[in-house]
This record gives sequence, structure tokens and C-alpha cells, in this order.
Amino acid sequence: MSHRIAVLSNVNMNFAVRMLARELAAAEPDTALYQPEGYGNELGTLLDVSSSYEAFAPDITFLIMDVLEAVDHDPDAGSERIESWFASLKAALHAERLYYVSDAFLWGPESEILRGDDCRGALEHRWQECLRALCAQCPNVRILPYRHVIEEMGAENAFSLKMWYMGRILHTNEAQKRIVELLLHIIRLQRRIPKKVLLLDLDNTLWGGLAGEADHTPIMLSGEHTGLMYRNLQRVIAGMQKQGVLLGIVSKNNEKDAMDIISSHPQMVLRPEDFVAMKINWRPKPENIAEIARELNLGLDSFVFWDDSPAERTLVKASLPQVTVPDFPDRPEELTEAMVRIYRQYFEQAAVTSEDRQKTRQYAENAKRSALKTQALDFASYLRQLAMEISRESPEANSERLTQLVNKTNQFNLTTKRYELSAMQRLLQDAGKRVYLYRVKDCFGDNGIVAAVIVDLTEAVPMIDTFVMSCRVMGRNIENAIIEDIERELYRQGYTSLRAKYLPTAKNRPVENLFEKLDYRILAADKTGEKLYEITLAPDRRRDYCARWTGERPAP
Amino acid sequence: MKEKIIALMEEILQVPAGTITGDTTMESLEEWDSLAHVMLIGELEAKLGIAIPLDEAVEITSVAEIFQKAGLA
Repeated sequence: MSHRIAVLSNVNMNFAVRMLARELAAAEPDTALYQPEGYGNELGTLLDVSSSYEAFAPDITFLIMDVLEAVDHDPDAGSERIESWFASLKAALHAERLYYVSDAFLWGPESEILRGDDCRGALEHRWQECLRALCAQCPNVRILPYRHVIEEMGAENAFSLKMWYMGRILHTNEAQKRIVELLLHIIRLQRRIPKKVLLLDLDNTLWGGLAGEADHTPIMLSGEHTGLMYRNLQRVIAGMQKQGVLLGIVSKNNEKDAMDIISSHPQMVLRPEDFVAMKINWRPKPENIAEIARELNLGLDSFVFWDDSPAERTLVKASLPQVTVPDFPDRPEELTEAMVRIYRQYFEQAAVTSEDRQKTRQYAENAKRSALKTQALDFASYLRQLAMEISRESPEANSERLTQLVNKTNQFNLTTKRYELSAMQRLLQDAGKRVYLYRVKDCFGDNGIVAAVIVDLTEAVPMIDTFVMSCRVMGRNIENAIIEDIERELYRQGYTSLRAKYLPTAKNRPVENLFEKLDYRILAADKTGEKLYEITLAPDRRRDYCARWTGERPAP
Repeated sequence: MKEKIIALMEEILQVPAGTITGDTTMESLEEWDSLAHVMLIGELEAKLGIAIPLDEAVEITSVAEIFQKAGLA
């Protein structure tokens, strides 16, 4: 869709029109721009049916108005003159054309004096009232946020009396540049189809830290310091939701842990009812996103997915190329700024309707009606793309990390046995125990030491006493690689079978069937959910995973 | 200072760096018309503190004259 644009003003904006012409020629070559004749005669231009402006027939007209000039520097008659200006404008409007009228920033040689009895505030207020009233009556009239441009740069940098005296140019080069940027942004908004749904990860995205990975105050979300950065991010997102952006959650967590926080954490800004869809589970995210698209009956090109994990972003980009996946900032203090950019770039609409503001409720209802179906995506190719490398690390040299992993991991933790540092040191000296520690790297970098296993060799059949893995790398089949590594080593050393245990806790349901999936037999199970397993070791049992072993593995 | 003046002129007139020299005149540069001239005079004062009185500013037609008014000749 091509556009015909006009910029009219009661001051000399011709230099800005020249800048805009240059920008449009480069970026929007199918857009035509009206060349003003002279300057300052905005009402005459609008009202004259035989003007070149009428002949040009623009579909968008920008009116950039200096309020003090509009009232002819006569504050006493100000209110009346403002009303009469808006009445004239209304008479000149064409219903099929769009008009953007600047809001008020009153500035002039006498504006400091006018501050005294708040005459300045009163004039600005009157202008705003008339502008809002006109917008309410005429859906084709919208507010041009000119005041914001001046406030951002400061009046002292925005205006120049020297240029005013020489040629009725009120705005400095920098101010004109910024006004032109604003006009360009609005022109682009007209032709862009905005995105509809913002899908958010939770841990280290909507809040700091990991839900469910510590017993008390598990997440960073507060009124201070880093917690405030996340709270402010949520405030920005809540504002977007009020502008009609639909919100969804796609996160790998235990659903209950996450929902407890979203429902009850005192510092949460966003609450369950703000989201039209929540997929909090351990399935691949593209499956969850595709499912949300079906439930909401929206095309995948309506979705923006935001996640701090580059691996998740890459998987979504690769599996669902229609979904927009913006970058994630390196530091939490950049979160709000990044989200405002996402809003401007993908969601902002030329006009927000009351229907937009109701959207969350409507979509939430529709989603409940929709049937759920899952779409299989190519998980294997995701794993291949990750190009993971696993290596063993020395437990002795990394005893602090080992202790931390064993004591802090709740979700991928088969037995939830805790060992203090001193107990761990003793265990490392114990010939009857063997400790395995693993590092995982992928194409995005080093994930660090993320998994630990302790095997008890004191009985006739060795037993996996502890198996923990960081949830950062869950869902990538790394556990299969680790189990294979241990099974093979034990086999080479003459063991013929291996036992394992699952001790249920409130947090470790994600791994309750881990050993069943690995073909272990259940020897005993009780009502509490506790299970004892055994497997017969074989020389060439292959586990399903996609990762390369690097570094040294101890010879048998 | 001369370099700063030329850089500012090139920014406002939006011409490639190196277009303007000490010999450039209004006549010889298409982008330097009366509208751009107003912007130039205003920005010279605002950005570089070179305040040229209005009646003199309207007479200026060359970079050399701007240097002269700035006391750089």
C-alpha cells in the first residue's frame, strides 16, 4: 500500500519536509510527499479547495502546531483561539483521510514569564482538551506525540530563536531530525501488520533466577536492585497488554512451582488472568508454541517469542521460522528498554481500539474451547544443531561445584540426598564410592558443569546413590549419554548389573520415570512412589543421544 | 575550528564528507539554498558558539565568509 503524505505547520517546517523526502526516497520509495508552498499557512492550505494540497490529495496529513503562534501570542484570547482553530480544522477534514495533530508543548520568548500564573499550563491543557475531543468525534484524527519529542531532548536543545528571526524556523536541526523520525515511524505503522502474541519464558526472563531450585524466596523479583529490573519489565509488559498485546508463557518449569509464583508472589505484576495461554512443562518449546497457535486459532506469524536461552531461541527459529524471535539483552538493566523496542518494532498499532483492550479476555475464552493437539517437530535435528560436547570433569578439583549441584538441584534429582561440603570431601576419599561430574558445551558456549552422579560400590551390585542435573540442560537427552558412560565403565570393570532408586519429592516429578525410559526393571515399588530398579549391563547397549564425548575418560 | 565548521555544514546540508572546502560557495553547492542557510546560521551559533548578527548572516554566500565572521580568516 503506497501513501501520500503531507506535513503542514504554522511555523516553517520546510527543512524537515526536505529531510523527510530524503528518508522516504531511500526507505519507502512508493510514498509521495507533498511539497508545501511557502510556510505557516496551515489552515488556509487545508480549507482552500483549489489548493495544491487538495489536488495532491494526501491520505495522511501531519499537522505540527506551535501553540503560542496558534494563539498569536495572546494568552488572554488563547482559549477562544484554540477552540476556533479546532473548529476550522474539523470543517476541513475529509472522512477518508488520516490526520495526525501535534499535542501541545508551549514555548516562546515569553513562555518563562507565562509560567508564573500557570498560564502556560492552562493553554497547553486547553489545546489537549480540544485535541482529545476532536479525536473522540473523528476516528480519522489522531494525536501526534510531538510533546514527547521536545521533552526527550529538552526545550533548550529543541528551539532556536536565531532561526526563527531569520526564517520562521522554530526547531533546531536535531529537533527536526527527531520529528522526522517520529513521522517515519508513524508512516511505517500504517502499512505494518502488527504481531498479536508475546510468548515469554519465565526463569531469567520474567523473573531472575530459577523457580523451584531453592527452598526459600526462589526467585529474584522485588522492589529493589536486580529484582526491581524484572518488576519494571513486567510493568512494561502489563502496559503492552493494555494496548492489546496478548501474552503467553512457554517455559520449562514444574507447573506448580511456576504457578505458585505467578499467582501469589507479592512482587509479581503479571498474574494468571493476564495470560491467554500458559504452557509450563518440559516438552520442546516449538511443540508448545504450535499448540498455542492452534488453540488461539492464530497464524504462527502473529507470534513473538522471548527467552533468555539462546538454545531455545535457535530451536524456535529453526523449527518455526514464521515466529519472530528477538534477541535477549545481556544485562537485566537493559530488559525494559529491550521490551519497549520490541513493542515499537512488532506490536505498536497506528490506533488502539477498545476491542484491542478486551482481547486478552476473548482469546483466553477461545483457547479454552479449542481442542488440544500436538504437532511433532523434529527434535533430532534440534539436537544435531546444538552440537553438544560432553566431558568428564575431576570431582576432586571441582568439589564446590559438585556440592552445590547436589544440594541445590531439586527437579532433576533422583534421590535428593544432600551432602555438606565436609561430607562430600569424605565421600571423595571413600574407595567404596565413585563420583562422576560432567560438563556440557554446545554451539552457543559452555554450559559449565551441569551433572553429577554418585555410585555406591560397597554392595554386591553397584547402586546409583545420586543423580542430579541442572535444569538448564534438561530435555536434551544428556542423561542418556551420562548413564551410558557409567554403565560402560562399570561393565568394563567386571560388574554385571547396576541398581538405581527414585525417591519422590514435591519437586522431582520430571524424572519419576527416567529409569523406566532407560529400560531398567522395577525390583520394588511402594505406595509413596519410591522405586528400586536394576539393569543387566551389556557391552554395547547404546543410549539415544546426540553429543560428542571430548577429553579423557579414565581407562578401565 | 575550520574543520568543525565544515563538518557541521556537511551534516546540516547532508552532503558526503569532503564535499565542502574553504572555497565552497552557496552558488556552487545545490544543497546550500536559503532555507538551509537559515539552519546553518542557527546551528553555527547553537553548536559552535559562532554568533553572526542577522543582517550580516543574510549577506554570507561562501565558506570563506563564514570563516571570516568566525575570526578564522
